[in-house]
Amino acid sequence: MTGNGEFAEFLPAYLAEADELLASAQKDLLAVEEAVRKGQAQPRAVRELFRALHTLKGLSAMVDVEPVVSLAHWMEASLRLADQAGGRLPESSVEPLVEGLRAIELRVRQLGAGKLASPAPANLLERLEALGPQVRDAAPRRARPVTLDAEAAFASRLAPSEREQLEGGLAGGQRALRLDFVPSSERAAKGLNINTVRERVAKLADIVKVLPLSGAAAGGASLAFALLLLTRAEDAVLLDAVGGAPATVRSLEAPAPAEAPPADLGPDGAAGLPGAAVLDEELDEPEVRRGGGLLRVEVSRLDEAMEWLAALVVNRSRLTRAVAALTQAGAPTRELTAILQENGRQLRDLRSAILRLRMVRVGDVLERLPLLVRGLRRATGKAVRLELDVGDAELDKAVADRLLPALVHLVRNAVDHALESPEERQAANKPAEGRVRLTCHARASGQLELTLRDDGRGVDAKAVAKAAGAPVPDSPDALLDLLCRPGLSTRQEATRTSGRGMGMDIVRRIVVEQLGGELRMDTRKGVGTTFTVCVPLTVTLMDAIVFECAGRRYAVAVGTVEELIDVAGVVRPAGADGVGLVERRGAAVPLVSLARLLDAPVDARAAGQDAKALIVRQRGEPVAFAVDRLVGQQEIVLRPLEDPLVRVPGVAGATDLGDGQPTLVLDLGALGAARAGRRKRASRAGERVS
Amino acid sequence: MNVLHVLFKVDGTEYAMPAADVVQMESFTGATPVPGAPSHVAGLVQVRGRVIPVVDARVRFGLPAGTQSLDSRVVVGQLGERTVGLLVDSAREVLKLDPRTIQPPPPMVVEGAKGFVKAVAQVGPRLVMLIDFPRVVGEEAADVDGQR
Repeated sequence: MTGNGEFAEFLPAYLAEADELLASAQKDLLAVEEAVRKGQAQPRAVRELFRALHTLKGLSAMVDVEPVVSLAHWMEASLRLADQAGGRLPESSVEPLVEGLRAIELRVRQLGAGKLASPAPANLLERLEALGPQVRDAAPRRARPVTLDAEAAFASRLAPSEREQLEGGLAGGQRALRLDFVPSSERAAKGLNINTVRERVAKLADIVKVLPLSGAAAGGASLAFALLLLTRAEDAVLLDAVGGAPATVRSLEAPAPAEAPPADLGPDGAAGLPGAAVLDEELDEPEVRRGGGLLRVEVSRLDEAMEWLAALVVNRSRLTRAVAALTQAGAPTRELTAILQENGRQLRDLRSAILRLRMVRVGDVLERLPLLVRGLRRATGKAVRLELDVGDAELDKAVADRLLPALVHLVRNAVDHALESPEERQAANKPAEGRVRLTCHARASGQLELTLRDDGRGVDAKAVAKAAGAPVPDSPDALLDLLCRPGLSTRQEATRTSGRGMGMDIVRRIVVEQLGGELRMDTRKGVGTTFTVCVPLTVTLMDAIVFECAGRRYAVAVGTVEELIDVAGVVRPAGADGVGLVERRGAAVPLVSLARLLDAPVDARAAGQDAKALIVRQRGEPVAFAVDRLVGQQEIVLRPLEDPLVRVPGVAGATDLGDGQPTLVLDLGALGAARAGRRKRASRAGERVS
Repeated sequence: MNVLHVLFKVDGTEYAMPAADVVQMESFTGATPVPGAPSHVAGLVQVRGRVIPVVDARVRFGLPAGTQSLDSRVVVGQLGERTVGLLVDSAREVLKLDPRTIQPPPPMVVEGAKGFVKAVAQVGPRLVMLIDFPRVVGEEAADVDGQR
């Protein structure tokens, strides 16, 4: 049985974990492939790949997804051998591994879509099973003469890949060292413990392994750690980093070429050290696997935190009003006001901290692109190099999730259509290998700019114009407009010759409409095309009701609206300042004209004026806000108004409904409350406050 | 060192600000009013995917309201992290101003201009007012949380 209901409750956690493991496995496999092609060993990536598949197998077994277990099992088995062979894989093994990974991904997707995972293809399993012997045959027959000081390096405790790493480092001119650190309470008080030591040393050296030691090996202390390093740093610098003596540094290089390979030391690694015992190796793995101290959190929990923050902000403005009232009444409120200002700053800091939690690294988001290009390379037979230069830029998760399909589209277009075949390129005096380069940098003012540049044939404006049945555009913007016509994407034949066009309307819709960003293009015939995508770093998406009032459109969050009603039978009590009453299920609800609240010029002739109303809670009480017309419900991108000039109560932000004009997103409850307060204050002070 | 300035007109008078502070200039096709914003804020406009507030220079300078025309421009200025537009009657000139021709404004101008004019430059026969953009744009937010 595959993925049966018994484990349904574990499935979300499984899927999340599996996704992450697959992502890292893909990255590692690409690194392995690269190394294989160059005939190098890639011990670290092989090891990571092995670990990812090993974990995936275990997880899949727990939720009983047999096909994934089988696939992962055979892949893992061959990778274990490769790991033992110092991270070497024969070239023929890469393709089955890629297919295996893809087959696993497909099955994880099926599970995610609520389906059963289909059985693993028998022939793929056979090929994966056959990998083991291939890997073993390809492994170097004899280990290279060991130049490590076996005793110092606890050689038998080293995995083959670790030994190879140390030897490789030595051969490459680095120093292989063993740095012993002895923890103590005074050192801990100075902030020196094994974790901080690791961090400090990691800045100076590659840490190959950390071994906890006890007994004689620990140099008299009850516990010590031996860090096996590759470095170019001086001993003194390293010692300094770990707080000096009693830490020690010794070289791992054997004084003379050691004849006996360390394996001959026998099964007990500490053979040469009577009374010394290496503690359980597992102790030395507090190392966080990916990216250091990461925590996976469901986005909904972050949203919840944001909700609470919003409640705090609302509360603060009530407090502010109360203090203002006190001040007006002549109470000494100086300190209160100061505290309130401090509180405002803290709220802003809290807000940006929560927003930061939602940020993901652009580099992580783009992890899939190299694999995509690899697939395209095979499918099109073109030689392509994808260069990613994305630095440390970060992006809101919601933006990243929406942006990725657009980038995938652009990359696919670049390889599929823009780049010429190797022969064509050589004929045009270009390198046979096409280049697609994706760079990004954060601009000031909360925007991220991504640039995708190819060195292909460029967009043929004439061909595009012909395909679109339009005059030849005279500017890059006009050409982009043509490319982004929805009709163009369906005429594949025409776009093939034009070089581009597939789904550009979708790209534009994602970038401009969904994300409120900007898409530009620059193209030169025969030289290449550059797309520039500029998107805000964060967006807030919400379902909104769009309506018209006094000739303008507005939006409100669906969640805030209790009910939509037709306005009929309004009672207007005298002296209520234009506030009417409507009946709703036997209760009278105050009816406020939104146009009046907005200080909008009311056009008396407008038909259907105040015909509908939205019922919203204002300070807990239902209030009906009369509007002219309901337009509909839709998902919008809320853009908060950051500038102090337009940060006003009752306006949650702005959005673009597709007309290029900002549309206000109102918070009707807050708007009504703010206006009511203003009217009251104004009447008391005898003047209009504005 | 001559400094590049953007020149614009408001009610017949010529003003200037350093081109380095100007992000771009946009034609003006109307702004979305923001209820509760200071009266000199014409509203919001969308510029290259961003939503920015626009300050109406006429209202800010206490001049009679003008009518929007094809010449109306939004001079989009950068103020640290903030991007704010200034709605002017027209803007079509970029000019290098020689610092030697720039003088402090006469006291009468200072008084009348509420500190918005920080210097006066002589360009041939013309007098150009150098505005203090941060002050023109200001930070005053009306009716907001009693912060001010």
